[in-house]
Amino acid sequence: MAHSPRKGSPARWAAVVLPPLCLGGLMAWTAGVFRPPSISPSHFMQRFHNAGALGDGFRRAHAKGMCVTGWFDPSPKGQALSRSGIFKGEHLPVMGRFSLAPPLPYLPDNPAVARSLALQILSPKGDDWRMALVDVPLQSMRDIADAYAFFGAAKLDPATHKPDPVAVQTYAVQRPWLKTAFEQAKAHKQTSDLTNDSYNSLDSFILTDSTGKKTAVRWSVVAKEPFAPAEGSGANDGNYLFKRLVQTLDQRPLSWDIVATIARDGDPVNDPSQPWDAADQKVTVGTVTFTKAYSEDESPCGPMVFDPTILPDGISVSDDPLLALRSSVYMRSYATRSAEHKAPSMVTPGDVTNPTLTPDGKGQ
Amino acid sequence: MSFSQNTGHAAPFPRLSILLHWVMAALIIVMLFVGLVMAHDSTIHYAGLFTLHRTVGFLILLLVIVRLINRFTNRTPTLPDDLPAPMKLAAHLSHILLYGFMIALPLVGWAMLSAGGYPITLWGGCHIPPLMGFHPHLWGALRCLHSLLAYGLILLIIAHIGAALLHGVIRRDGVMGSMLGR
Repeated sequence: MAHSPRKGSPARWAAVVLPPLCLGGLMAWTAGVFRPPSISPSHFMQRFHNAGALGDGFRRAHAKGMCVTGWFDPSPKGQALSRSGIFKGEHLPVMGRFSLAPPLPYLPDNPAVARSLALQILSPKGDDWRMALVDVPLQSMRDIADAYAFFGAAKLDPATHKPDPVAVQTYAVQRPWLKTAFEQAKAHKQTSDLTNDSYNSLDSFILTDSTGKKTAVRWSVVAKEPFAPAEGSGANDGNYLFKRLVQTLDQRPLSWDIVATIARDGDPVNDPSQPWDAADQKVTVGTVTFTKAYSEDESPCGPMVFDPTILPDGISVSDDPLLALRSSVYMRSYATRSAEHKAPSMVTPGDVTNPTLTPDGKGQ
Repeated sequence: MSFSQNTGHAAPFPRLSILLHWVMAALIIVMLFVGLVMAHDSTIHYAGLFTLHRTVGFLILLLVIVRLINRFTNRTPTLPDDLPAPMKLAAHLSHILLYGFMIALPLVGWAMLSAGGYPITLWGGCHIPPLMGFHPHLWGALRCLHSLLAYGLILLIIAHIGAALLHGVIRRDGVMGSMLGR
């Protein structure tokens, strides 16, 4: 048998080198090398940074917050909609985080700012339901491109430390599909407190019942406390919203109903910027009750990620593109901030122990 | 051009070894691409890719255990006698590293999701238990390690393919053919 030469021709060497190079090149391309930068989680991190996110172990959005604990009691109507273990009837522990929506961890409380509530409900069987809710009626973005532009427009002007009003205006004007969302945000009456505010998932979810029947819903966590307008409630304490929440919890538990708005045919499930039919059926699937407040510096809710795609069996994501975006960006923010040294939160353990309002405007 | 002629001394690998090698090769390549997309693209399919990544990662961890047992119970063809000693050493070292990365990547992935408080749900809704409790600081570090290991594995695989082709196309010593079942 003729023995083949050990030294190869250039063609043979090409056959050795090119396949692994091609694989490596394809992987590099997938990782974003050799192509115009796509909108990746790290691009969002950069935009949050420009919009005032500090780093220092803080969340890149909804940065200022405080933790609460309590319980969840499901209603039988929840069990009819979803087979999830969350709705089986047990009294379940809840961890919550009230926050201000902007990326600024030291933002003084004020009536103009949007507020948010994040929840984690756990069942003993390991069902884990996380929710991320905001008190605006509709999302002011419909997809990833909108979200990227939105946080770009939120960039702080170095001179004023505020977003450029022209950029914010341009964002709205260039997106006629967000007209209703901005109109409803403008018409939304802000409440006096975190305690009497209601919070919305904005994104849609799919419930599956025990027979496999699917229902598209949007969640609202609706205050049981009576409405009072925000006008004139801006006490001169930078933590007045959080301190007043602590003061109330020191006196009595506070409850919210978890309400599912059931989509009808024609309701846009994949677009959180669009309203659903006002006559849609609303079903209260349970009640969440908070009893105790903690500074996020001494509660596991501080570092916790409230990724709304972490769902128990019986609740799943819809095809809303912002849910997938949240999951990927939250994960990146969570990984980055977890590796940082955490600076003290604005709502300190002392504020929770002694929630007396101070008139110094700093809330300390 | 024929890539493989079993003109050398190497006997083929046992059938089970060949099957495990190629099934895992396909799964690992898919996993690396899915991971790269997850890390570098705000994809609209993130939740689905994440579930796929967890499920295939767990499957790879199970398969690598089978493969390790197989490696120690089944014979492995010896390298050609005329292979220079440094190349032999490189071959052995790279195989040990490949095994190490195949074990470490899914374990670190499992540990990091556990430390981060993420429920570890596989395709079909099956839960696997956390490897540890909620340790957010560890989550950040392990998430970083997971990426570093993935990039390391990519480099190893590229070197592995290059070395296999060197055996098959240049040296034509039957080493590549031994994993093609010839």
